[in-house]
Amino acid sequence: MAAQKQRTERTAGKLVKFSLPVSDPSRGPHFTGCRSREQETFRCWWSAGIFQNLTEPGALRVFYRTKNALSEWQECPDYTHTVKNECYFNKTFTHIWTSYCIQLRSVRENITYDETCFTVENIVHPDPPIGLNWTLLNVSRSGLHFDILVRWAPPPSADVQTGWMSLVYQVQYRVRNASHWEMLDLESGTQQSIYGLHTDKEYEVRVRCKMSAFDNFGEFGDSILVHVAQIPSKESTFPMTLVLIFGVIGLVILLVLLIFSQQQRLMVIFLPPIPAPKIKGIDPELLKNGKLDQLNSLLSSQDMYKPDFYHEDPWVEFIQLDLDDPAEKNESSDTQHLLGLSRSGSSHVLNFKSDDDSGRASCYDPEIPNPEDLASLLPGHSGRGDNLPLVSRSSLSIPDLGVQQTSEVEETPIQTQPAVPSWVNMDFYAQVSDFTPAGGVVLSPGQLNSSPEKKKEEENEKKIQFQLVSDGAYTSENTARQLSAEVPPSPGPEQEYQTFPTQAVEGNLWNGEYLVSTSDSQIPYLLPEATPAPILPPVSDYTVVQEVDAQHSLLLNPPSSQPAICPHSPNKHLPAMPTMPMGYLTPDLLGNLTP
Amino acid sequence: MNRVKVLQAWLWCVSLWPVWLSHAVPLDCKDETGSLIQCTSISQEKLLDRVIQHAELIYRVSEESCTLFEQMFVPYPLHALRNQGGTMCHTKPFPIPGSKSEIQQISDKWLLHSVLMLVQSWMEPLIYLQTTLNRYDDAPDALLNKTKWVSDKLLSLEQGVVVLIRKMLDEGILTPSIFEHTLTPYDEPSPEIPESVLRDYNLLICFKKDAHKMETFLKLLKCRQSNKLSCLSY
Repeated sequence: MAAQKQRTERTAGKLVKFSLPVSDPSRGPHFTGCRSREQETFRCWWSAGIFQNLTEPGALRVFYRTKNALSEWQECPDYTHTVKNECYFNKTFTHIWTSYCIQLRSVRENITYDETCFTVENIVHPDPPIGLNWTLLNVSRSGLHFDILVRWAPPPSADVQTGWMSLVYQVQYRVRNASHWEMLDLESGTQQSIYGLHTDKEYEVRVRCKMSAFDNFGEFGDSILVHVAQIPSKESTFPMTLVLIFGVIGLVILLVLLIFSQQQRLMVIFLPPIPAPKIKGIDPELLKNGKLDQLNSLLSSQDMYKPDFYHEDPWVEFIQLDLDDPAEKNESSDTQHLLGLSRSGSSHVLNFKSDDDSGRASCYDPEIPNPEDLASLLPGHSGRGDNLPLVSRSSLSIPDLGVQQTSEVEETPIQTQPAVPSWVNMDFYAQVSDFTPAGGVVLSPGQLNSSPEKKKEEENEKKIQFQLVSDGAYTSENTARQLSAEVPPSPGPEQEYQTFPTQAVEGNLWNGEYLVSTSDSQIPYLLPEATPAPILPPVSDYTVVQEVDAQHSLLLNPPSSQPAICPHSPNKHLPAMPTMPMGYLTPDLLGNLTP
Repeated sequence: MNRVKVLQAWLWCVSLWPVWLSHAVPLDCKDETGSLIQCTSISQEKLLDRVIQHAELIYRVSEESCTLFEQMFVPYPLHALRNQGGTMCHTKPFPIPGSKSEIQQISDKWLLHSVLMLVQSWMEPLIYLQTTLNRYDDAPDALLNKTKWVSDKLLSLEQGVVVLIRKMLDEGILTPSIFEHTLTPYDEPSPEIPESVLRDYNLLICFKKDAHKMETFLKLLKCRQSNKLSCLSY
């Protein structure tokens, strides 16, 4: 038994363990170790070493002495008979907390070969624990890992119950036949859990113990094998991946279909339409709500007054109003007036007095005319019953323009102004009553004294709805020009025409528009003219263009019969215009004006 | 007249009632906030458990202190001194038996008194040890902290044992006995390390041994309290 146990050899005063159960043969007789299993008895072993002549029993003897009080050397109380070179100290001779010193002597020669001192509790190596077993705690979801609970019992020789010995245990495990043991922390109880073991691997678990606060571990107990078969779960993972793949593919297909079906909408969202062109430097909001002075300053800084513009704007040339011959006008139909067909020779120019501007009010912004007002402008049509609105605004994209005009007309300026210029009685506007099959427009004379509300109703009944297409914030040059000229302030918002100056920008929008008939007939160009405010001094819609200044702004000459409403711009360095016929400014004439 | 006297005596007794109460309660009980409250009574079993916990902790810390000191200041060849359990430890007023059989024959009263005596015998040396360790140049803080901790815990252990004695043995408060520490000089003063170091090392070893004694005694006591038959018989 002694040979199978691990021997301890005392070298330089410290007990050193070595696994080989053989003593050091190079030395003389020496103690190979002392051990106690249960702190109640202990044994000591020695070896003769190289001195082979001392191997026979009795040649070497062990003497011991306890270091408490004065004690003498006593011989080993019990030489074990069964084991060679062992001295056994039973319970009566074992005192803990006392130092023992033992000597190896050869009595015959009276030589002390070896001596060592110790206390019994320091040489205690407990027996291994017994009853090691394991139970499965759980298996992981994936089935790859599992946890176990290992249990054991303290060695029977160790008196743990009475508290004589306090043991701590150490569990070690490893994969079977591996070289490295995993060590767990010391455990003072009799069970411990091991986590994270792999299924399908065989594990070896063993346990040993030692006295608490001492260094000497006992022997390991027998190992137990732990093995948990892996639950075949591979089939469950395989369909999962397939399902995942198919799901993703389905989603992608759905997305593609969605995109293709909603292509238009998506195009609008992702590729928004290019906004309408704007005047550089002019904020549409400012045009809406800004003050006239600001607008004037703004627009005067714009470099828009190109002489070429006139050439590009065809509609300017078309409509001509002749103010000089109202009687003549009354005789011919409105259609002819508009189209200038029945005229012969004389220019069918609807000229408002001395207004050479091509159909636009000189100092006011010709906004979209109120149908009632347009009708009221038509001479000789006062009291006319049916009023087909010239312009019906079913959908206005012009801000506030038509609304104000349609809603706020209380009375036409024409009606309240007895001194209204003669153009009032002219067929300045003609109401489109019908369309010829050829695509021509049949005009009917408008009504002068119709009420706004009645006109509104008729407007709604109009079968031909004209839609105004506005060009966003486009402001024609004519309007802009007029804005730059100083105009008297608007007297009030009630008369829509009064508001023209301030709403010059808004009304200018009209100039960029053209009536679009929903009946897909020939689109006539209608130039509604804004009537000036009645309260204001009588204003002619046309004013002779006096000059064109360096900034390409037309300097208008107020008519001689009326007070100047369109003050000249300060720059008058342009040559005076030749006297012009009462007509509009033709482009070639304009070319003369260009400095 | 007698009536008046009796009344006076009774009044005296009643007025001194709180004084008697305070005498009856040797320990100050404090709750979490630190204010003094009436001590809650504790069962004997629970008290013994707590005392044992104290002893276990003290024992473990004493072993750690010994190891720390050994690693820092004691050269390797002299580590054997530890196995020898200290060449000299101060003697006790009365010898303590070492064998299990003898110890098991010791009565409860004697066990408790031995423990108390051991605790009281080490209070002064530990304070002395703290001062000496502070003089070392490179004593690790852990070592200093541990010795400080141990001396504090020893005080509470003493208090617990006192209460235990009173409860189990129905005895009064014992006056702490003063122990003379007779440190016999070494037989072989080693030239490798100064004697002071050797002395301190020895002190630590001896303290560890005595802490082990305390723990063992208390555990034996516990066993006896719970199961008298199996603990006594052997």
